[in-house]
This record gives sequence, C-alpha cells and structure tokens, in this order.
Amino acid sequence: MSGPRYRAAGAELLIVEPLDLFTAVFHRPSGMTHLLTEPAPQILEVLAGEALTADALLARLSQDYELGDAAGEGAAMLQARLEELEAAGLIDAR
Amino acid sequence: MEHRAVMDDMSPSPENPAPDNEVEPVAGASSVTSRRMLMLGAVGASAVVAIRPALAQTAGSVLNCQIPVPDPGRAGSYIALDGTTVPARTLGAFAPPSRPYTGEEVRQALQGGMLPNSNFLSNRAYLNYIRRLQRGQGGFTCYASLQMPGN
Repeated sequence: MSGPRYRAAGAELLIVEPLDLFTAVFHRPSGMTHLLTEPAPQILEVLAGEALTADALLARLSQDYELGDAAGEGAAMLQARLEELEAAGLIDAR
Repeated sequence: MEHRAVMDDMSPSPENPAPDNEVEPVAGASSVTSRRMLMLGAVGASAVVAIRPALAQTAGSVLNCQIPVPDPGRAGSYIALDGTTVPARTLGAFAPPSRPYTGEEVRQALQGGMLPNSNFLSNRAYLNYIRRLQRGQGGFTCYASLQMPGN
C-alpha cells in the first residue's frame, strides 16, 4: 500500500552541476544531460541519501522546506516530479 | 521525451526572479527558523528537461554504433556463459565473435533474436557480457543508448 521506494541513481553515474537557474545533471549510462529546476534537484539530493516512498519523501521535504502547496495537491505534484525523474533514469523505483 | 520539454515558465525576468531567490516572510516566532520555500510545481509542468546527445538524435546512429565482445582491453578473452571474460580456451566458454556487433543486432537479440555468428549458448554468453557492460568499457554507451525510450 505504501508504494514503491525511490532512490537516486548512484553518485558515480551522475555529474551534477548547479547553474544559476538550473541544475545540469549528466547521466553517464545514457550519455544524456538533463536540466533540472526546483524541486527536482532537491528531490534528487534527498533520494541520494536513502530510498524513500513518495509519502516519506514528502514528509522529509516538508521538514527541510516550506512547501507552500503541499497541503493541497502536494502529493500529486510530487508524484509527477518523481515520474519525470524516473523517466530520465535519474531515480529508480522498486 | 518531448512532452517534458516545457520551459516556457522557466525564463527568468526581473519581475519574476528564480524561486531560489525568493525569501518567504514567516510571521511570528517561527521567523527565527524560517525555511526556504520549495515549490513542487504544477502537475502538468515539468522540472526535468532532457538534452539528447548528438549520438542519439537519429535512430540510425544508435543502431549503427558498435559493441565489441569483449572490449578491446580484453581482446582474445573468451566469454563464459554468465557473461564474464575468462582466459582464452577456457573449457565451457566461448571464443569471441570475429567482429563487433552493431546496436541494431544487439537490439534484435535482446528482443529474443540471435546475434550473428552465434549459437544458442554463445548467444546467451555474448548477451550476458553485453548486459554486464560498465561505464568506460567499449560499447557501453551504445548499449545504454539502446535502453533509451524511443530506441
């Protein structure tokens, strides 16, 4: 019921370069570069530390950040971000 | 991939600075520990934009890339059934194929076909070798490209 646990791709597979407006992430296995805007880099950072379910991730982010929109559609929005990151291969779900 | 390339709302402007620069005033005692605002964004918007490398921009380049078995660093080694490289003439292992495989050949084999110049067992050994490829080994980028959506 709690859903899959998400985890960031191994640090050795990524080159993460914060730019002014974006965070550029080079994904070595695919040779692709992704430009991330908030909250994607923050999600990636949390999931690099541990595998979390979407609910646990939302709870963690709300500890670290003020989630202005989390009360309403926060879970759905976070799910959309997770699906983007997973499609890019930057995180995986298991 | 294209559906994620929504960047219209990411352009910086003086009136609308990047969220990173926003300081959210917090009323009352909690202002001492005010935390940074993090916008999760709208469901339909996108926070991830992919830049495809030139290599993968045309299907042809992916399908024509090459995967040597084994990679040149271990040329001459045999391939065991589990895909590991072993010394030449190891019993139960297979002599390497005479030429590198193309991305297209590997793609078809991964979908249940056979690699050229292989039999039932050596086909499995070669594919297991390819599945074990790591970054830095010859053919890895080609193999990784086959995994990308759209290929």
